[in-house]
Amino acid sequence: MTKNLIPQDFLKNVLQNGVGRYVCQLQRITFRFCKSHGASRHMRDFIENHLLGFSQKNPGVAVYLQPRRHRAPSIVAEYLNGYREVLFLSDKQPSEICKWTEHLRTRSGVQIVKMINNIHTETPSTQGIWHPFMFTDTEWAVTKFPNKKLSSVLKTGKTATDIILDEQTEALTEGVKHCQINNK
Amino acid sequence: MAHSRVTQWATMTRTWWIYDANYQCPFKTAYRLLPYLQGLNKPVYHSDSDVGDHVVVFNTKHIAMRGDFWRTFKHFHHTKFAGGFSRASAWRVHEMDPTRILERAVYSCLAGVETRKMMMKRLHLYPEEDVPEKILENVTGQIRQVQIVPKKLTDYSQEEIDKFPKLFEYPEDYDVEGYKRENRQEPDQHTSMKWRLK
Repeated sequence: MTKNLIPQDFLKNVLQNGVGRYVCQLQRITFRFCKSHGASRHMRDFIENHLLGFSQKNPGVAVYLQPRRHRAPSIVAEYLNGYREVLFLSDKQPSEICKWTEHLRTRSGVQIVKMINNIHTETPSTQGIWHPFMFTDTEWAVTKFPNKKLSSVLKTGKTATDIILDEQTEALTEGVKHCQINNK
Repeated sequence: MAHSRVTQWATMTRTWWIYDANYQCPFKTAYRLLPYLQGLNKPVYHSDSDVGDHVVVFNTKHIAMRGDFWRTFKHFHHTKFAGGFSRASAWRVHEMDPTRILERAVYSCLAGVETRKMMMKRLHLYPEEDVPEKILENVTGQIRQVQIVPKKLTDYSQEEIDKFPKLFEYPEDYDVEGYKRENRQEPDQHTSMKWRLK
Protein backbone atom coordinates (compact mmCIF):
# COMPACT_ATOMS: atom_id res chain seq x y z
CA MET A 1 0.00 0.00 0.00
CA THR A 2 1.00 3.62 -0.52
CA LYS A 3 1.18 4.18 3.20
CA ASN A 4 4.02 1.68 3.53
CA LEU A 5 6.01 2.96 0.55
CA ILE A 6 6.61 6.40 2.05
CA PRO A 7 9.58 6.14 4.42
CA GLN A 8 8.73 6.98 8.01
CA ASP A 9 11.03 7.83 10.87
CA PHE A 10 11.20 9.63 14.17
CA LEU A 11 12.11 13.33 14.21
CA LYS A 12 15.83 13.73 13.52
CA ASN A 13 18.20 16.67 13.25
CA VAL A 14 21.91 17.45 13.26
CA LEU A 15 22.48 17.77 16.98
CA GLN A 16 23.90 20.94 18.51
CA ASN A 17 24.16 22.72 15.16
CA GLY A 18 23.93 26.40 16.05
CA VAL A 19 24.77 25.98 19.73
CA GLY A 20 28.33 27.30 19.26
CA ARG A 21 28.13 28.42 15.69
CA TYR A 22 26.02 27.43 12.72
CA VAL A 23 27.61 25.04 10.23
CA CYS A 24 26.04 24.97 6.78
CA GLN A 25 25.24 21.31 6.15
CA LEU A 26 25.27 21.72 2.38
CA GLN A 27 28.80 20.91 1.22
CA ARG A 28 28.58 20.65 -2.51
CA ILE A 29 26.01 21.79 -5.05
CA THR A 30 26.20 20.75 -8.70
CA PHE A 31 24.20 22.48 -11.40
CA ARG A 32 23.73 20.15 -14.34
CA PHE A 33 22.47 21.61 -17.58
CA CYS A 34 22.64 21.42 -21.36
CA LYS A 35 24.34 24.16 -23.36
CA SER A 36 21.97 23.92 -26.31
CA HIS A 37 18.67 22.45 -25.16
CA GLY A 38 15.63 24.64 -24.51
CA ALA A 39 14.75 23.00 -21.23
CA SER A 40 17.98 24.35 -19.72
CA ARG A 41 17.35 27.88 -20.96
CA HIS A 42 16.42 29.30 -17.57
CA MET A 43 19.13 27.30 -15.84
CA ARG A 44 21.73 28.94 -18.15
CA ASP A 45 20.14 32.30 -17.36
CA PHE A 46 20.42 31.54 -13.63
CA ILE A 47 24.08 30.59 -13.97
CA GLU A 48 24.84 33.83 -15.83
CA ASN A 49 23.02 36.19 -13.50
CA HIS A 50 22.56 34.66 -10.02
CA LEU A 51 25.11 31.93 -9.41
CA LEU A 52 28.08 34.20 -8.73
CA GLY A 53 26.13 36.03 -6.03
CA PHE A 54 25.21 32.70 -4.44
CA SER A 55 28.79 31.40 -4.35
CA GLN A 56 30.09 34.72 -2.98
CA LYS A 57 27.52 34.69 -0.19
CA ASN A 58 28.25 31.05 0.67
CA PRO A 59 31.99 30.44 0.54
CA GLY A 60 31.55 27.17 2.50
CA VAL A 61 29.63 25.52 -0.35
CA ALA A 62 31.52 24.07 -3.27
CA VAL A 63 29.68 24.97 -6.47
CA TYR A 64 30.11 22.74 -9.51
CA LEU A 65 28.82 23.27 -13.03
CA GLN A 66 28.32 20.21 -15.14
CA PRO A 67 27.24 20.66 -18.75
CA ARG A 68 25.61 17.49 -20.07
CA ARG A 69 24.48 17.25 -23.65
CA HIS A 70 20.72 16.92 -24.20
CA ARG A 71 19.86 16.12 -20.63
CA ALA A 72 17.33 17.77 -18.38
CA PRO A 73 18.71 20.43 -16.02
CA SER A 74 19.01 19.46 -12.40
CA ILE A 75 20.60 20.40 -9.10
CA VAL A 76 22.49 17.87 -6.99
CA ALA A 77 23.01 18.78 -3.36
CA GLU A 78 25.42 16.83 -1.18
CA TYR A 79 25.37 17.21 2.59
CA LEU A 80 27.74 16.72 5.45
CA ASN A 81 26.04 13.52 6.54
CA GLY A 82 26.51 12.00 3.09
CA TYR A 83 22.95 12.49 1.93
CA ARG A 84 22.50 13.37 -1.73
CA GLU A 85 19.43 15.05 -3.12
CA VAL A 86 18.66 15.56 -6.83
CA LEU A 87 16.10 18.08 -8.12
CA PHE A 88 15.09 18.17 -11.77
CA LEU A 89 14.23 21.70 -12.89
CA SER A 90 13.22 21.59 -16.55
CA ASP A 91 11.68 24.83 -17.83
CA LYS A 92 11.80 26.42 -14.38
CA GLN A 93 12.21 30.20 -14.14
CA PRO A 94 15.46 31.61 -12.62
CA SER A 95 13.47 32.88 -9.65
CA GLU A 96 12.26 29.38 -8.94
CA ILE A 97 15.75 27.91 -9.35
CA CYS A 98 16.94 30.55 -6.82
CA LYS A 99 14.23 29.38 -4.44
CA TRP A 100 15.16 25.68 -4.74
CA THR A 101 18.87 26.49 -4.37
CA GLU A 102 18.06 28.35 -1.16
CA HIS A 103 15.90 25.47 -0.02
CA LEU A 104 18.73 22.98 -0.51
CA ARG A 105 21.23 25.31 1.21
CA THR A 106 19.14 25.68 4.35
CA ARG A 107 18.30 22.02 4.74
CA SER A 108 19.94 19.85 7.39
CA GLY A 109 20.60 16.97 5.03
CA VAL A 110 18.20 14.69 6.81
CA GLN A 111 15.91 12.85 4.44
CA ILE A 112 12.35 14.13 4.39
CA VAL A 113 10.13 11.35 5.71
CA LYS A 114 6.71 10.90 7.19
CA MET A 115 7.15 11.78 10.82
CA ILE A 116 6.13 9.28 13.45
CA ASN A 117 6.24 9.53 17.21
CA ASN A 118 5.74 7.21 20.14
CA ILE A 119 2.38 7.67 21.78
CA HIS A 120 2.37 7.53 25.55
CA THR A 121 0.48 9.03 28.42
CA GLU A 122 1.60 10.63 31.66
CA THR A 123 -1.74 9.72 33.22
CA PRO A 124 -2.36 6.00 32.63
CA SER A 125 -5.84 4.65 33.26
CA THR A 126 -6.47 3.68 36.88
CA GLN A 127 -9.06 1.16 35.75
CA GLY A 128 -6.52 -0.66 33.58
CA ILE A 129 -6.51 -0.63 29.80
CA TRP A 130 -9.16 -2.45 27.85
CA HIS A 131 -8.64 -5.97 26.56
CA PRO A 132 -10.96 -8.20 24.52
CA PHE A 133 -12.18 -10.22 27.50
CA MET A 134 -12.94 -7.27 29.76
CA PHE A 135 -16.73 -7.05 29.47
CA THR A 136 -17.47 -10.57 28.29
CA ASP A 137 -19.57 -12.97 30.32
CA THR A 138 -17.33 -15.02 32.60
CA GLU A 139 -19.33 -18.07 31.60
CA TRP A 140 -17.71 -17.88 28.16
CA ALA A 141 -14.39 -18.91 29.68
CA VAL A 142 -15.71 -22.42 30.35
CA THR A 143 -18.03 -22.67 27.33
CA LYS A 144 -17.18 -24.95 24.44
CA PHE A 145 -17.72 -23.21 21.11
CA PRO A 146 -19.80 -23.41 18.96
CA ASN A 147 -22.57 -23.11 21.50
CA LYS A 148 -26.23 -23.33 20.52
CA LYS A 149 -27.49 -21.24 23.40
CA LEU A 150 -25.22 -18.31 22.61
CA SER A 151 -25.91 -18.65 18.90
CA SER A 152 -29.70 -18.67 18.65
CA VAL A 153 -31.66 -15.45 18.37
CA LEU A 154 -33.11 -14.18 21.63
CA LYS A 155 -36.81 -14.69 21.22
CA THR A 156 -38.93 -11.63 21.91
CA GLY A 157 -42.69 -11.74 21.83
CA LYS A 158 -44.82 -14.50 20.38
CA THR A 159 -44.89 -15.97 16.93
CA ALA A 160 -48.15 -16.60 15.05
CA THR A 161 -47.81 -20.30 15.88
CA ASP A 162 -47.43 -19.51 19.59
CA ILE A 163 -50.55 -17.35 19.55
CA ILE A 164 -52.59 -20.10 17.88
CA LEU A 165 -51.37 -22.71 20.35
CA ASP A 166 -52.15 -20.39 23.28
CA GLU A 167 -55.63 -19.81 21.96
CA GLN A 168 -56.07 -23.53 21.62
CA THR A 169 -55.03 -24.24 25.19
CA GLU A 170 -57.27 -21.42 26.41
CA ALA A 171 -60.18 -22.79 24.46
CA LEU A 172 -59.52 -26.28 25.82
CA THR A 173 -59.39 -25.13 29.44
CA GLU A 174 -62.55 -23.08 28.94
CA GLY A 175 -64.16 -26.09 27.33
CA VAL A 176 -63.18 -28.20 30.33
CA LYS A 177 -64.63 -25.57 32.65
CA HIS A 178 -67.78 -25.45 30.57
CA CYS A 179 -68.08 -29.21 30.78
CA GLN A 180 -67.56 -29.14 34.53
CA ILE A 181 -70.30 -26.53 34.92
CA ASN A 182 -72.63 -28.58 32.75
CA ASN A 183 -71.86 -31.69 34.78
CA LYS A 184 -72.75 -29.88 37.98
CA MET B 1 4.25 -0.15 35.24
CA ALA B 2 6.43 -3.07 34.47
CA HIS B 3 3.72 -5.17 32.85
CA SER B 4 2.14 -2.43 30.72
CA ARG B 5 3.86 -3.81 27.66
CA VAL B 6 2.17 -7.15 28.18
CA THR B 7 -1.26 -5.63 28.81
CA GLN B 8 -0.89 -3.81 25.53
CA TRP B 9 -0.43 -7.14 23.78
CA ALA B 10 -3.75 -8.17 25.25
CA THR B 11 -5.39 -4.98 24.02
CA MET B 12 -4.20 -5.38 20.46
CA THR B 13 -4.67 -9.15 20.25
CA ARG B 14 -6.99 -10.59 17.64
CA THR B 15 -9.74 -12.76 19.05
CA TRP B 16 -11.64 -15.42 17.15
CA TRP B 17 -15.41 -15.50 16.81
CA ILE B 18 -17.65 -18.24 15.51
CA TYR B 19 -20.95 -17.92 13.67
CA ASP B 20 -23.51 -20.57 12.71
CA ALA B 21 -24.92 -19.76 9.25
CA ASN B 22 -27.58 -22.46 9.41
CA TYR B 23 -30.84 -21.02 7.95
CA GLN B 24 -29.42 -17.49 8.02
CA CYS B 25 -29.82 -14.80 5.37
CA PRO B 26 -26.35 -14.19 3.83
CA PHE B 27 -26.94 -10.46 3.39
CA LYS B 28 -28.11 -9.83 6.94
CA THR B 29 -25.32 -12.10 8.14
CA ALA B 30 -22.75 -10.01 6.27
CA TYR B 31 -23.88 -6.91 8.14
CA ARG B 32 -23.76 -8.82 11.42
CA LEU B 33 -20.17 -9.95 10.80
CA LEU B 34 -18.85 -6.56 9.68
CA PRO B 35 -18.15 -4.97 13.10
CA TYR B 36 -16.21 -8.06 14.19
CA LEU B 37 -14.08 -8.12 11.02
CA GLN B 38 -13.38 -4.40 11.22
CA GLY B 39 -12.91 -4.27 14.98
CA LEU B 40 -15.76 -1.78 15.41
CA ASN B 41 -16.79 -3.59 18.59
CA LYS B 42 -13.57 -2.49 20.30
CA PRO B 43 -13.02 0.81 22.09
CA VAL B 44 -9.53 1.00 20.53
CA TYR B 45 -10.98 1.02 17.00
CA HIS B 46 -9.64 3.50 14.49
CA SER B 47 -10.17 3.32 10.74
CA ASP B 48 -6.43 3.64 10.11
CA SER B 49 -5.43 0.88 12.49
CA ASP B 50 -5.99 -2.74 11.60
CA VAL B 51 -7.68 -4.15 14.71
CA GLY B 52 -10.24 -6.55 13.21
CA ASP B 53 -10.93 -10.01 14.59
CA HIS B 54 -11.07 -13.43 12.94
CA VAL B 55 -14.53 -14.77 12.20
CA VAL B 56 -15.18 -18.45 11.60
CA VAL B 57 -18.44 -19.23 9.82
CA PHE B 58 -19.71 -22.77 9.48
CA ASN B 59 -22.82 -24.31 7.85
CA THR B 60 -22.52 -21.91 4.91
CA LYS B 61 -24.03 -24.61 2.71
CA HIS B 62 -27.25 -24.31 4.70
CA ILE B 63 -27.87 -20.58 4.36
CA ALA B 64 -31.39 -19.39 3.57
CA MET B 65 -32.29 -16.83 0.91
CA ARG B 66 -35.31 -14.60 1.12
CA GLY B 67 -38.14 -14.84 -1.43
CA ASP B 68 -37.16 -16.16 -4.85
CA PHE B 69 -33.55 -15.06 -4.49
CA TRP B 70 -32.04 -18.46 -5.18
CA ARG B 71 -33.29 -18.00 -8.74
CA THR B 72 -33.31 -14.24 -9.16
CA PHE B 73 -30.16 -13.13 -7.35
CA LYS B 74 -27.25 -13.05 -9.80
CA HIS B 75 -23.51 -13.14 -9.49
CA PHE B 76 -21.63 -11.36 -12.26
CA HIS B 77 -18.08 -11.67 -13.47
CA HIS B 78 -16.03 -10.34 -16.35
CA THR B 79 -12.62 -11.73 -17.27
CA LYS B 80 -11.83 -8.43 -19.12
CA PHE B 81 -11.33 -10.41 -22.31
CA ALA B 82 -13.79 -10.14 -25.18
CA GLY B 83 -16.86 -12.22 -24.43
CA GLY B 84 -15.59 -12.81 -20.94
CA PHE B 85 -18.82 -11.83 -19.21
CA SER B 86 -20.65 -14.46 -17.26
CA ARG B 87 -23.45 -14.47 -14.78
CA ALA B 88 -25.05 -17.15 -12.73
CA SER B 89 -28.00 -17.46 -10.40
CA ALA B 90 -27.40 -17.87 -6.72
CA TRP B 91 -28.37 -21.54 -6.71
CA ARG B 92 -25.84 -22.32 -9.41
CA VAL B 93 -23.09 -20.39 -7.64
CA HIS B 94 -24.02 -22.18 -4.43
CA GLU B 95 -23.80 -25.51 -6.19
CA MET B 96 -20.36 -24.61 -7.49
CA ASP B 97 -18.98 -23.33 -4.19
CA PRO B 98 -21.15 -23.42 -1.07
CA THR B 99 -19.11 -20.70 0.64
CA ARG B 100 -19.11 -18.23 -2.21
CA ILE B 101 -22.44 -16.48 -1.68
CA LEU B 102 -21.64 -15.54 1.89
CA GLU B 103 -18.10 -14.56 0.95
CA ARG B 104 -19.30 -12.25 -1.82
CA ALA B 105 -21.97 -10.78 0.46
CA VAL B 106 -19.38 -9.84 3.06
CA TYR B 107 -16.95 -8.65 0.38
CA SER B 108 -19.49 -6.28 -1.14
CA CYS B 109 -20.44 -5.04 2.31
CA LEU B 110 -16.83 -3.97 2.85
CA ALA B 111 -16.84 -1.77 -0.28
CA GLY B 112 -14.75 1.34 0.25
CA VAL B 113 -12.81 -0.10 3.17
CA GLU B 114 -9.10 0.07 2.41
CA THR B 115 -8.19 -3.06 4.38
CA ARG B 116 -10.93 -5.16 2.78
CA LYS B 117 -8.65 -7.87 1.42
CA MET B 118 -6.93 -8.34 4.75
CA MET B 119 -10.31 -8.60 6.45
CA MET B 120 -11.49 -11.18 3.95
CA LYS B 121 -8.44 -13.27 4.81
CA ARG B 122 -9.63 -13.27 8.41
CA LEU B 123 -13.02 -14.62 7.41
CA HIS B 124 -12.92 -18.42 7.54
CA LEU B 125 -15.84 -20.12 5.81
CA TYR B 126 -16.75 -23.79 6.14
CA PRO B 127 -19.65 -25.35 4.24
CA GLU B 128 -20.47 -27.90 6.93
CA GLU B 129 -20.16 -28.21 10.67
CA ASP B 130 -16.74 -29.86 10.56
CA VAL B 131 -14.50 -26.94 11.41
CA PRO B 132 -10.87 -28.06 11.84
CA GLU B 133 -9.83 -28.50 15.45
CA LYS B 134 -6.89 -26.18 14.92
CA ILE B 135 -9.26 -23.34 14.01
CA LEU B 136 -11.83 -24.21 16.64
CA GLU B 137 -9.36 -24.09 19.53
CA ASN B 138 -8.78 -20.37 18.93
CA VAL B 139 -12.44 -19.43 19.21
CA THR B 140 -13.38 -17.44 22.30
CA GLY B 141 -16.76 -16.01 21.40
CA GLN B 142 -19.96 -16.68 19.53
CA ILE B 143 -21.79 -14.24 17.29
CA ARG B 144 -25.54 -14.38 17.63
CA GLN B 145 -27.55 -15.39 14.56
CA VAL B 146 -29.67 -12.88 12.64
CA GLN B 147 -32.87 -14.86 12.34
CA ILE B 148 -34.69 -17.68 14.09
CA VAL B 149 -33.89 -21.15 12.77
CA PRO B 150 -37.27 -22.50 11.66
CA LYS B 151 -38.49 -25.83 12.93
CA LYS B 152 -39.18 -28.07 9.97
CA LEU B 153 -42.17 -30.35 9.60
CA THR B 154 -39.85 -33.33 9.92
CA ASP B 155 -38.69 -32.04 13.31
CA TYR B 156 -42.20 -32.36 14.76
CA SER B 157 -43.43 -35.71 16.00
CA GLN B 158 -46.57 -37.18 14.48
CA GLU B 159 -48.33 -36.64 17.81
CA GLU B 160 -47.58 -32.91 17.74
CA ILE B 161 -48.77 -32.64 14.16
CA ASP B 162 -52.03 -34.37 14.99
CA LYS B 163 -52.53 -32.19 18.06
CA PHE B 164 -52.07 -28.93 16.18
CA PRO B 165 -55.41 -27.09 15.83
CA LYS B 166 -56.97 -27.31 12.40
CA LEU B 167 -57.88 -23.77 11.53
CA PHE B 168 -59.68 -24.43 8.26
CA GLU B 169 -60.72 -27.20 5.94
CA TYR B 170 -58.81 -27.61 2.71
CA PRO B 171 -60.89 -27.40 -0.45
CA GLU B 172 -61.59 -30.79 -1.97
CA ASP B 173 -59.40 -30.16 -5.01
CA TYR B 174 -56.44 -28.89 -2.94
CA ASP B 175 -53.14 -30.67 -3.57
CA VAL B 176 -52.22 -31.68 -0.02
CA GLU B 177 -49.50 -34.15 -0.96
CA GLY B 178 -47.77 -31.74 -3.37
CA TYR B 179 -44.78 -31.03 -1.14
CA LYS B 180 -43.79 -34.67 -1.19
CA ARG B 181 -43.23 -34.72 -4.95
CA GLU B 182 -40.14 -33.53 -6.81
CA ASN B 183 -39.84 -29.81 -7.44
CA ARG B 184 -40.70 -29.20 -11.07
CA GLN B 185 -40.22 -25.45 -11.28
CA GLU B 186 -39.35 -24.09 -14.68
CA PRO B 187 -35.60 -23.99 -15.31
CA ASP B 188 -33.68 -20.80 -14.73
CA GLN B 189 -33.69 -18.79 -17.96
CA HIS B 190 -31.31 -16.08 -16.90
CA THR B 191 -28.10 -18.00 -16.40
CA SER B 192 -25.71 -17.92 -19.33
CA MET B 193 -24.86 -21.42 -20.49
CA LYS B 194 -21.12 -20.89 -20.58
CA TRP B 195 -20.84 -19.60 -17.02
CA ARG B 196 -17.30 -19.45 -15.74
CA LEU B 197 -17.46 -17.32 -12.61
CA LYS B 198 -14.17 -17.12 -10.87
